[in-house]
Amino acid sequence: MSKKLTVIPEQCSGCRICELVCAIKHFGVNNPKKAAIRVLNIYPHPVTRMPIVCSQCKSPPCAEVCPVGALHSIDGVVHLDENECVSCYRCVEACPFGAIYAHDDCELPIKCDMCGGDPECVKVCPKGALRLIPTAVLGESKRLNNVLSYTQMKEIEFYEKGEKKIIRYAETGKEEL
Amino acid sequence: MTLKSGYFRKLLHVDLTAGSTERRNLPDAFLEKYVGGRGFGAKLVWDNLRHNGFSLDPLGPENLLVIAPGPLTGAYVPSSGKNSFVAISPLTGLYGDSSIGGGFGVELRQTGIDALTITGRAPETSVLFIDNGECSILAMPELHGKASLETEGIIKERLGTHAVHVATIGIGGENLVRIACVNADWGRNAGRTGMGAIMGSKNLKAIAVRGDRDLPVHDLKGLVAENEKASRYMREHQYFKMWQQEGLMNVIAYANDRGILPAYNFKDSVFARANRIDGTTMLDGYKIGDSACFCCPMCCGNICLVKSGKYAGTVVEGPEYESCAMLGSNVGIDNFAAVLSANRLCDELGIDTISTGSIVGAVIEGYERGILSLSDLDGGEITWGDEDAILEMIRKIGHREGIGDILADGSRRMIEVWPEMDKVVLHVKGLEQSAYDSRPSMSMALAYATSDIGAHHTRAWTVAREIEQGQAWSDDDRVDIVLYHQRVRSLFDMLGVCRLPWVELGLSERHYEGFYRHVTGKDVSLEELLELSNHVYDLTRLINARLGASRNDDTIPYKVWAKPPLTGPTAGKVIDRDDFDRTLSLYYRKRGWDENGIPPAEAEKRFED
Repeated sequence: MSKKLTVIPEQCSGCRICELVCAIKHFGVNNPKKAAIRVLNIYPHPVTRMPIVCSQCKSPPCAEVCPVGALHSIDGVVHLDENECVSCYRCVEACPFGAIYAHDDCELPIKCDMCGGDPECVKVCPKGALRLIPTAVLGESKRLNNVLSYTQMKEIEFYEKGEKKIIRYAETGKEEL
Repeated sequence: MTLKSGYFRKLLHVDLTAGSTERRNLPDAFLEKYVGGRGFGAKLVWDNLRHNGFSLDPLGPENLLVIAPGPLTGAYVPSSGKNSFVAISPLTGLYGDSSIGGGFGVELRQTGIDALTITGRAPETSVLFIDNGECSILAMPELHGKASLETEGIIKERLGTHAVHVATIGIGGENLVRIACVNADWGRNAGRTGMGAIMGSKNLKAIAVRGDRDLPVHDLKGLVAENEKASRYMREHQYFKMWQQEGLMNVIAYANDRGILPAYNFKDSVFARANRIDGTTMLDGYKIGDSACFCCPMCCGNICLVKSGKYAGTVVEGPEYESCAMLGSNVGIDNFAAVLSANRLCDELGIDTISTGSIVGAVIEGYERGILSLSDLDGGEITWGDEDAILEMIRKIGHREGIGDILADGSRRMIEVWPEMDKVVLHVKGLEQSAYDSRPSMSMALAYATSDIGAHHTRAWTVAREIEQGQAWSDDDRVDIVLYHQRVRSLFDMLGVCRLPWVELGLSERHYEGFYRHVTGKDVSLEELLELSNHVYDLTRLINARLGASRNDDTIPYKVWAKPPLTGPTAGKVIDRDDFDRTLSLYYRKRGWDENGIPPAEAEKRFED
């Protein structure tokens, strides 16, 4: 079952722990500027904090522009072949999400490799803004919301063993069609 | 043991008059002794004072502004986004500092320096841009008169990148409002002691930084292991989720329940409608996002939006407890949307929410008691909870308009103009008191009185512990807890980390010994680090003493000894002045200072080189 590193921007607090652990894991340095994931913080309308990280596209634009074929999709992860790469940075420009990075100290572009399937950033995110989700479930919450918003949802509050609970239900049968 | 890492061993000095910048080496002895942050600030300010014969105008070009992160700033350590602004304060005329979170300090360090110092005055409104090893002073007269947050946006646009961190001042700082603050990262503030006015006096509208250097860490594996232990403890704490959700806003209900919430300029210590401005109210109708400082899992910052009504569209990073209490209950406002609007206005003007709330509260009470006349108020009435009048008063302070021109100089100036306001304002050394009532807590009164920057809770916050556990405390117990807080909390400000994991989740201070050791490679115990922090406390005391402060300045405000809260669990409580004097003397003795609060002559020798 393949899994996708998914970002939930609404949950992100902008703490950048993901950046730091990524750089520590891949470069062994305390430097968030060497991470393959970065949190962008835009203000003010609305305040947005959003980690930008490789989507591991099935048809990767970065690989398409690579003049030496250094980017390969292997088991759903787009890998950068260090021996092939000529550091032209065309992939950095080509990524539609800006999810490949460059740093003066590093010869190669900095690109997410999914940490071999168990990404450090997902493990440390204190807000659950980064998740590893099975591909089959992608978009499920949106689908769910879409279905729920289709009907006029109502809420009632009730108490069960002294605990407040809420149940949502759809009002049907009253609307004149 | 010597330092192996942890520092770039570099200081960047900028002289705005000459338009010159210079990188200086920092010797190991300096780094080891003063650690970083406020420690660096105190020493550099002390040296500058000596150079100026212990006489300088805080708003003159000769006042040195020190901006110093610590060795742990930006490191893989919980809540490591802290950075100190240090200078002689234009509000108190004494040692001043204020720390700021977010990511500015991390970025500043990543340019490859341990501290930035600024003197002089630029010929026109300028921006300092530090781009890794390059440093330029850019004239940007078009920024004159711009609001803080707007300025940050314009600068990012002008530099053509979002990948910079910007510290700005608003109109308040430009107008030399003595309670002006420095704003960075869209709403984080170095709020207290008027650091924004110092930037204003130097014609320095903003500092933009971009750095991508590796931060020097001696043993990264050891640091990761230590952080994993600390983080696991924090994340498993029963209140961790609550901190993420409410942040410091949970303290409103806590303080109200215990009778330490300022209401109506501390006439009372409970607020009948506190539930309308508390954390639950925020979560129910206003909060739209979290905001964390660098590497902080607690993310105590809130981002709020007013969705409907008169203040619809107001977005603000905040409020936190202090801002909400001082701009809410302290001025009688029970409308959370109005509190958010006041908080946003203070941010845009670039003025401190605590001092502003305190001053406006005092104005309302002064008018109520007939000390201030309608003409003093420029013809406009102001009463408790009158949102329009309060917002207008805040605006006038920032713009120095009408009565705002007096208020902009702080509580002490109010007393000069209206002597009877002495019984109304609450300040120590000229700094307005923060939002915790000290009347039920002798240790808190002592903490405010002996804080080196004035009546702020940052050096010691003992009121909760004393109320909960202090019924049988002796004088010794009270003094000891203040001393311990002043050591530990000041150490956090030297290391460049936030104190909240320790204060609120009880993360052991012992971890910081490990963090420091892994980062610097120097084997030092927590006790030795606390001793260094203690030395810095002696140094800030020496600075204040050489600027004329003594026991007479370690005071408790009039209300604290003369006017008890009217209702609630602390009704009727005041601090007895004789008890306070006795406790203060004991505090001096334990610090090794004389009866007048002056450190011994030989202490000065410790800070010569």
